[in-house]
Amino acid sequence: MKVHVDPERCQGHTLCAMIAPDLFTLDDVDGHSSAIDGEVPADLEAKAAEAIRSCPEQAISVIP
Amino acid sequence: MSTEPVTDDERKQNRYHFDRHTPEYREQFTEVTAEMLDKCPVAWSDTYGGHWVAAGHSEVFELARSADYLSNDHDPANERRGYKGISIPSPEVAFRGGFLEMDPPEQRYYRQLLNPYLSPAAVARWAPLVDEIVRASLNEKIETGRIDFVDDLANIVPAVLTLGMLGIPLEHWDLYVEPIHASVYTPPNSPDMPRLQASRLAMRDDMMGQLSSIRESARPGLIHALATAEINGTVPPDFELLGIISLLIGGGFDTTTALTAHALEWLSEHPDQRERLSAERDTLLNPATEEFLRYFTPAPGDGRTISADCELAGQQFKEGERIWLSWAMSNRDPEVFPNPNEVDLARTGNRHHSFGLGIHRCIGSNVARMVFKRMVTAVLDRMPDYLCDPAGAEHYQTIGIIQGMKHLPATFTPGPRIGDGLDETIARMQVLVDQQRLADPVTVRKGAVDVT
Repeated sequence: MKVHVDPERCQGHTLCAMIAPDLFTLDDVDGHSSAIDGEVPADLEAKAAEAIRSCPEQAISVIP
Repeated sequence: MSTEPVTDDERKQNRYHFDRHTPEYREQFTEVTAEMLDKCPVAWSDTYGGHWVAAGHSEVFELARSADYLSNDHDPANERRGYKGISIPSPEVAFRGGFLEMDPPEQRYYRQLLNPYLSPAAVARWAPLVDEIVRASLNEKIETGRIDFVDDLANIVPAVLTLGMLGIPLEHWDLYVEPIHASVYTPPNSPDMPRLQASRLAMRDDMMGQLSSIRESARPGLIHALATAEINGTVPPDFELLGIISLLIGGGFDTTTALTAHALEWLSEHPDQRERLSAERDTLLNPATEEFLRYFTPAPGDGRTISADCELAGQQFKEGERIWLSWAMSNRDPEVFPNPNEVDLARTGNRHHSFGLGIHRCIGSNVARMVFKRMVTAVLDRMPDYLCDPAGAEHYQTIGIIQGMKHLPATFTPGPRIGDGLDETIARMQVLVDQQRLADPVTVRKGAVDVT
């Protein structure tokens, strides 16, 4: 699986990067999140799911 | 569902007498919240000229993210539509409270201007300085075995940091703390009002002096960004800039103080959880911080004005109607938060609304989290057995604006001072802030401050 952050929805709450720092990076200038490229490693899938669940703006989705 | 014409009585059939400015609301918050969440997650209240109240999590989520239909605009001079901004009721002396009382695109220009000072990367640069101010604040009390966590710690550190980021001399912090803090909890008819007014005027004079001195001789910081800003091709008038500086100060001071005081009080009442948080801080401090934010919701909500007839969250609204979005009540919705009235330091899926939602998300959220974590962990390290004194703990009587505390005295086993005291440390930090141009935006200056 891959994860995707919708830039139109993200408002920079930063919970995803707190929960899964290996999967999400925050922009230096505005703190908005983007997902790392590529497949989510199997051992981080639970963290990805937790980040998706925790996003206050519901901006994160899974790309199968 | 289509928007068919209905009478006002039909639209407003969910009614609830909601008055968040009364002490009863604070005392009965859990019961009122449970009742509204259960029976009327969006309700019409007859208070303050009549307004809507949104309490449900999914309802607040939808409404707060519908900026096309909910306006933040505050227009006291009636130059646009005369909307009343985010306070319900609107204050008697009305002025626009910075970009939190603006709509896009104007609001967006200011956010883009200030984000490079307040992003996670920008804020992280200040962490070593915050540690120094925390250490020195605790030094002032560590040998006595007594501290007031509000007066002696949580009022000081956010204030010093906020002034540093603005570009105001750090030593001015006590000129700002008292008027900001007391303005929130002092009722208009209080005998203390004249003194408070005098301290407010002194603060406002200093603020205006800082703005003009930074204009004359550039000094980095948020004020410099504002003083040199062109917003959509025009230079904003000073009163607009003072509204923004006041917003940054108001947002930066009392909210973080409130969160810290409530968390320290709760940890004193739950010593087993305090030990657990201290021992497992590497994994627990982040979720615990979000849980304290959810449970104590320092800024309990924001008002909006409906800017066009619409149907949102299953409710028909008319243009011009006022609505209160309750972050605090939506944070207790059992649909999203199992056992919502319990603090669970390891809670997952914590989609709380404590920094608001949508385009107006608290621009200082990264500052608040950082300062809170630094203060709490320092207390856990240096005063691990502290015990708050319930007889001396003084909560704000009402929670209409900020859910805060006036005082939180505690006792603990005395310990040794580490390094210098508060005044010396602040003077030393000022030199570093100036030399290292720490208040420049992260686009210009990267890397943490060197405090060695």
